[in-house]
Amino acid sequence: MIQSLILSTLMFGAMFSVLTVSLNLQYARGGMINFGTVAYFAAGAYAYAIFTQEPPSGLDQYAFGFDMPWWAGFLAAGAAAMLFALITGWPTLRLRGEYLALTTFAFAEVFHSILLNERRIGNGSVGMANVERPDPAAIGLGDTLGYTLAACALMLLTAWLFHRLLASPYGRLVDATRDDEIAAESVGKDTARVRLQIFVISAIPIGFAGALYAMITTLVAPALFSAEVTFFVWIALALGGERTILGAILGTMALVFFQELVRVIPFETVRGAQIAASAEEVITGILFILVLRWQPWDRLSRKAGS
Amino acid sequence: MTLFLQFVLTGLVTGCFLILATIGFSFTRRVEGFLNIAHAELLGVSAFVTWGCNKLLGWHILPSAAVGIIVTAFAGLAIGRIVYDPIRRFGPSVMLITSVGVAYVIGGTIDALIGTGIRTLDIPLATSYRFWGLRITDYQLLVVALAIVSSASLALFLNRTSTGLAIRAMSANPELAASRGIDVRKTSRATWLISSGLAGVAGVMLGVIATLSTDIAFHQILQILAVAILAGLGSLYAVIVSGLIVGVAMDVSVFWIPAGYRPLVAFAVVILVLLFRPQGIAGSAAGK
Repeated sequence: MIQSLILSTLMFGAMFSVLTVSLNLQYARGGMINFGTVAYFAAGAYAYAIFTQEPPSGLDQYAFGFDMPWWAGFLAAGAAAMLFALITGWPTLRLRGEYLALTTFAFAEVFHSILLNERRIGNGSVGMANVERPDPAAIGLGDTLGYTLAACALMLLTAWLFHRLLASPYGRLVDATRDDEIAAESVGKDTARVRLQIFVISAIPIGFAGALYAMITTLVAPALFSAEVTFFVWIALALGGERTILGAILGTMALVFFQELVRVIPFETVRGAQIAASAEEVITGILFILVLRWQPWDRLSRKAGS
Repeated sequence: MTLFLQFVLTGLVTGCFLILATIGFSFTRRVEGFLNIAHAELLGVSAFVTWGCNKLLGWHILPSAAVGIIVTAFAGLAIGRIVYDPIRRFGPSVMLITSVGVAYVIGGTIDALIGTGIRTLDIPLATSYRFWGLRITDYQLLVVALAIVSSASLALFLNRTSTGLAIRAMSANPELAASRGIDVRKTSRATWLISSGLAGVAGVMLGVIATLSTDIAFHQILQILAVAILAGLGSLYAVIVSGLIVGVAMDVSVFWIPAGYRPLVAFAVVILVLLFRPQGIAGSAAGK
């Protein structure tokens, strides 16, 4: 049981870490508050499902199913998230701070509502079940272990790429854009363009993570992609301490571990399970408030620095 | 045509409810300077306290509603003192994100105490009136009346009483107001009591005109945000106009497109407005 707990923590932790690391790039480095993270995640998952699903038959209401191999769906997921980031980022990025937060939140809600109501995309609220996925047994791995490794690989690749990107001169341009836009523009940098680039680049791994999520759960449905995912990622980011990639990953792992731990407790009654779920929500919220209040990570790093 | 007008009328009622729900939110934004995502959860607190007194204790609706509103007002004050006051120095972004945590705590507590299922208050059935073929119920009229009374008394309070003027001074320039001898704690206490009390009124009305379930608060925050953005964050009088616009837009849209798209219509309006006028209807400063 402990083994399965660790494996599922690693699997979902690594997958959500991809989101946290991308959000870290947008917020801590780009200075953009994206409260619609789940939309890019959902765009990836739906793109993957639509590209790999067989053409509709019987009771299916979705209009498109391209029946393509999984890697084509995976690439499509990244492309879909990128495209969605371009569409939503281009008009909204001139907004700042809380206005940007609210507009991205609004876009995510609109997208969620479309997925829920427009049955031709993915069967509406029912969603698409039995999503195709590569079988890890082909390379001699167990199901869970295979996807855990895949999630970790995606996480490490994302973290490494973002690390390299930000260590480069381009990373300093990003920091300059965040810290002093006027100064950056006065030396001839197109800051609007840099913000859009960061926004779009960081959406791509979120789309890939969405595809991976669709493979793991073999289901895409609007209920899986509510604003709670966005809040979850933000809480994880705050837990880990902003501004470092390692912090983002550790924060996500800790939060996922906590949730998985609650999930393995066996319950006798439905009411018991419900109370446990609510308690989990309350404790998550309290943790969140406390971490933001005392900001322990900042203090630790300051102590280490001095 | 009558059907269309009926949708417009229902939309106006929805708009009045949205005004009630949003005006406290905008008031907090104006004075405390941040977006309190947990504001909608206060509606839930009020609705379920009222429900508890009304249904479980068997009280009449009026004392139940009074208890609900007062409990909510003081809950809001307590949260403001315990959670938001210490983090004010970190700025509005941290306060915005913290309020998500507060929403989690309140939402989870309500979930644990109440459980799933649909609840209704123990009140007489609505009586329906007809004018020129249009129907309106007495509870809907009550919502309209309360929206008018609440916004009018808030305006009177802010313009005529010394506490109200002190609150306006605080929101315009906190340092100057403090140095002129305004009691900061007193004005901040009044702010929290008023904004949470307004959430309490809206919560009771939610229980009166709709059925209650524990996820109801979360659906409200979406519409509250839509109205608040449309009005321009922090402006109070524009909330009245934008509440009516969003309410009518949502309900009239049902005339042409499926009802499931109602929330989408609210946000479509918001996105359009933000793209062309980022500061909202009444805002003057550029969206920054």
